[in-house]
Amino acid sequence: MGNVTLPDIRLSDFTLQTLPRLAALRTRNLQAGAEVCIERARLITRYLRDLADADEPMELRYARAVGYYLANKTPLFPDDNLLAGTTTAKYFGAPVYPELTGLTIWPELDTMSSREKNPQRLSRQDADILNFEVFPYWLDRNILETTRARHGNPACMKLFERIVFFLASKAGTISHTVPCYRLALEQGTEAIIAEARRQEALCATATDEESRQKQTFYQAVQLALAGVNHYAANLSQEATRLANETADPGRRRFFEELAAISAQVPARPARTFREAVNALWLLQVAIHAESINMAISPGRLDQLLYPYYRRDIDRGTLTVEEALDLLGCLWLKLNDNTNLVPETAEELFGGAGTVPAVTLGGIDADGEDAVNDLTYLMLRVTELLKTRDPSLNARYHYDKNSETYRQRVAEVIATTKAVPAFYNDLVAIRTLENQGIATEDARDYAIIGCVELAAAGRSYDASSSIMLNLVSALELALYNGKRPVTGDEQIGPRTGDATAFRSFEEFWHAFTSQLGWLIGQAVELNEMMGKSHQERLPTPLLSALFEGPMEKGRDLIFGGARYNSSGATHIGFADTVDSLNAIEQGVFLDRKCTMAQLMQTLQHDFAGAEALHAYLVNRTPKYGTDAPIARKNARNLTAFLFDTYQAHVNYRGGRYRPAYWTMTNHAGQGRLSGALPNGRKANRVFASGITPVSQAATDLAACLNAVAELDALHLPGGVAFNLKYNAIANAEDLRTFGQAIEAYFRQGGLHIQCNIMSYETLLDAKAHPEKYPDLLVRVSGYSAYFKSLNEAMKEEIITRTAYSLTTGQSEPFPAAAQNMLPFRG
Amino acid sequence: MQPLIFDIRRFALDDGPGIRTTVFFKGCPLACLWCHNPEAIRPETDLFFQRDRCVGCGECAKACPDAAICLDGPARVNRQRCTLCGACADACPATALKMVGRYYPPAELVRLLLRDLPFFSVSGGGVTFSGGEPTLHSDYLQEILAALRSHGIHTALQTCGHFDLEPFRSRLLPLLDLIFFDLKLADPGRHRRFTGQDNTRIRDNFRRLAAEAGSRLVPRVPLVPEITATEENLQQIAALLNESGFDSCDLLPYHPGGLSKRQAMGEIPSPLVPDAMIGQGEERQWRHFMQQRLAC
Repeated sequence: MGNVTLPDIRLSDFTLQTLPRLAALRTRNLQAGAEVCIERARLITRYLRDLADADEPMELRYARAVGYYLANKTPLFPDDNLLAGTTTAKYFGAPVYPELTGLTIWPELDTMSSREKNPQRLSRQDADILNFEVFPYWLDRNILETTRARHGNPACMKLFERIVFFLASKAGTISHTVPCYRLALEQGTEAIIAEARRQEALCATATDEESRQKQTFYQAVQLALAGVNHYAANLSQEATRLANETADPGRRRFFEELAAISAQVPARPARTFREAVNALWLLQVAIHAESINMAISPGRLDQLLYPYYRRDIDRGTLTVEEALDLLGCLWLKLNDNTNLVPETAEELFGGAGTVPAVTLGGIDADGEDAVNDLTYLMLRVTELLKTRDPSLNARYHYDKNSETYRQRVAEVIATTKAVPAFYNDLVAIRTLENQGIATEDARDYAIIGCVELAAAGRSYDASSSIMLNLVSALELALYNGKRPVTGDEQIGPRTGDATAFRSFEEFWHAFTSQLGWLIGQAVELNEMMGKSHQERLPTPLLSALFEGPMEKGRDLIFGGARYNSSGATHIGFADTVDSLNAIEQGVFLDRKCTMAQLMQTLQHDFAGAEALHAYLVNRTPKYGTDAPIARKNARNLTAFLFDTYQAHVNYRGGRYRPAYWTMTNHAGQGRLSGALPNGRKANRVFASGITPVSQAATDLAACLNAVAELDALHLPGGVAFNLKYNAIANAEDLRTFGQAIEAYFRQGGLHIQCNIMSYETLLDAKAHPEKYPDLLVRVSGYSAYFKSLNEAMKEEIITRTAYSLTTGQSEPFPAAAQNMLPFRG
Repeated sequence: MQPLIFDIRRFALDDGPGIRTTVFFKGCPLACLWCHNPEAIRPETDLFFQRDRCVGCGECAKACPDAAICLDGPARVNRQRCTLCGACADACPATALKMVGRYYPPAELVRLLLRDLPFFSVSGGGVTFSGGEPTLHSDYLQEILAALRSHGIHTALQTCGHFDLEPFRSRLLPLLDLIFFDLKLADPGRHRRFTGQDNTRIRDNFRRLAAEAGSRLVPRVPLVPEITATEENLQQIAALLNESGFDSCDLLPYHPGGLSKRQAMGEIPSPLVPDAMIGQGEERQWRHFMQQRLAC
């Protein structure tokens, strides 16, 4: 049994009225405009350019630069938050990582403050520093350019830069992982530094290359962690100064407490729940000195923090209310930064937070119920705050976790309309075991970023390495290696004139040939960039907070983790499957048209072919229904991708894992793709994640079954299944809602996330954004404020099939908005 | 003749406990004027035309071998000429023309029903047979019920009550967990007038089953304004229920969903049938009326 002692797991006595600190912080957080913060970029650049010893190995130089930045980072207490430490020097800051894709804002320095969509403020002075001091240094030193120079502008890189085939995320990130904070909380970073020093001394006597490398690694760990402690000490000093400055006894005590806490953690062991929460937050801040602020996921916080919580509660030194206040402060701190987004990337990634995923519930390493009081506290805090981050994920093991827990999670989804996402423990654990993860480690899985599965703190997965557009492979097969959007240029291999294909098998062969070729290109580039990371972006700080590197004496990016993998996610899954179905049924079974007629129709975006278009939309098999052809093609595509990726081993010795989550890329990539055989018109959005095409799967039970029956072993990177219900109106709906999720899990479903909102609400929110300042929606993995999404993405969310929990059928789509549907317009 | 099924509704919440799949048979010994599912009355296949789905491509006219398609008229199909061959529905790209009623080999139907087994088991749901009148196809129904029972699936039947009692008792009753038994009109004359059948057999069957099936039998009364929802009728039905030992029954509020279906089949609905849902006030009033008369 789990550790649940709360008299009321819903904690309904605690509200934003009884937690005024959280109410005030939340209001300020929601209203804060984003500002570009150049502090990190400026200090890292200054160190590497002016202060570093060019003769030292890069690992040490970079560790020193990270340490230098942390030691000189502004200690800031911008509000009444109970936790010390800020990600940036701004209230709501977008830090710049010039070694990655920071340079993409170079052409926009003058305009990004004032652009219409999600502006990010940048002062004239800071723009000048970026323009004259920072960016010139990185012009030929960033990952993209160093990779290009080393490999002579390889074909795979040119392909990536066309944007419409695949994205190579390594140009932009070292991130997407779940660190292990346990040791640092229990023993303190000083103990880890001491251990690194001891290990370094052990290596010092040997002279072989491997020992020398280990020695360097252990040195780097000490340098980087010293920076963290330095930052905490500065915070403590600043808090003391502020305490002495104020005459208000309450403010004085507030700062004195912060001074005492940051004097203790993270250098030394956390002794209280509050110290543990603050230590965790400071480590989270510190990691962002080294890794970009994208999907660095704290993991199973209800498990990690529980011993501290239990001890303080039992000792009587902590109340539930105080714990809620602290957790709320942590949730809001996780919202204190955002991504630096150039206008050109708004289309692909608009509205995303930084997606630090928190994972709750499930089972423990022994396979027993792990739900505890903190699980419920975290659910309550999420329900009250309804903030974009952290991305909250609830694990559910239907044999071990209680129905009470399941229904409480369901209730939080009903209240927030969007979070948390639900994971099927039984299936997720089996999927990880199938990737070679030991059972006890698989049971301790947590979610990275959107939906990716990780053996938390043990598996280094770079889960967002590749984002590949499946529709591009389909179009390459249709047009013999070309795509409408790239014109007459021969991009892929010549797989044959599609008008001459005599069977669906021939088309399938052409499609998988293009897809296999594309995967090869994406993997080749990822490997090149991985090597660039190894040369230029070591991660000693993150490595010190992980299981494996400290034992092996090897940085994570050299394969130091206990487990390794690379993730490749896919855009346009449902549209691709439905297009395959349409070709198989329409051309080769029903013979409604020839391949030539179909392609001509596509090139004219169905103009003058209304009957054929109606046939393709209404009469061809759709993924998300019982149609056998659709089920077969979905199964075959996931199996093909699994086999193809697993055959590739990455530069860290791990295998590639296919995944199906799309952020907002399905909207962006859709806008760059031609008309498709499933009836989707040119330049319209694709369906998200692994979700069926909007309005194509009208029967809820059939839809849940169709997604659930995809073999989860073939989906090791994770999936985002978005399901929209028009309403959860009463207790009966809530029960049915929970039962439907359970049934989906019992059929083998891996993940599900829901939006609870009607077409009418979303249409109103699009027309009157001012009425919905904090309307939270699930995009494809992460949550976003609806108002911050671009128009295409808003339309995609509006058109998603909304099911009724009373009829089990899709609700009729409003006639007035028909033109938003991807197959109309 | 092979039993035809005109709809299989999954995730149904109104046809018994939990999440269910409801199977709708074609063919009914009654022909109630207000029928919600008029496509279920005839045991044969029907042709449906849904005008709002039509894209006006004319493929149906090209496909029809009997020149029964009239592209200008609102009805689309000349029902006098139509032989129900289905060629137009086959050709229709928009599914505006649709053949209603399909035979499912028992193994196929069972396989389809079993697909939702997890929904049944997590919710205490199961499968409900409705129609039309499922008992018209008792061989077929018996085979399906037995297969579902072997998987431990909860089974329910919705019946108009007009069937031969003996075969029902020996073959179907042992395989059913729940029987929703419709009591529409108590007066034999009115019953004949509005449903086309005498109700003596229905009343006899109800009395006999009430004695044998106990709590498995759930009486249901449709509330059709001015037709079934009259003081006199409900008074008499309450009396019948009382004498059979029932202190409650399900009341089914009328909705006019059957009217558009009749139009889609090229029929003209009876002017006696209301074209709006029963008012909430009226529904409440009849519920109260029945409660008072059954609670004694």
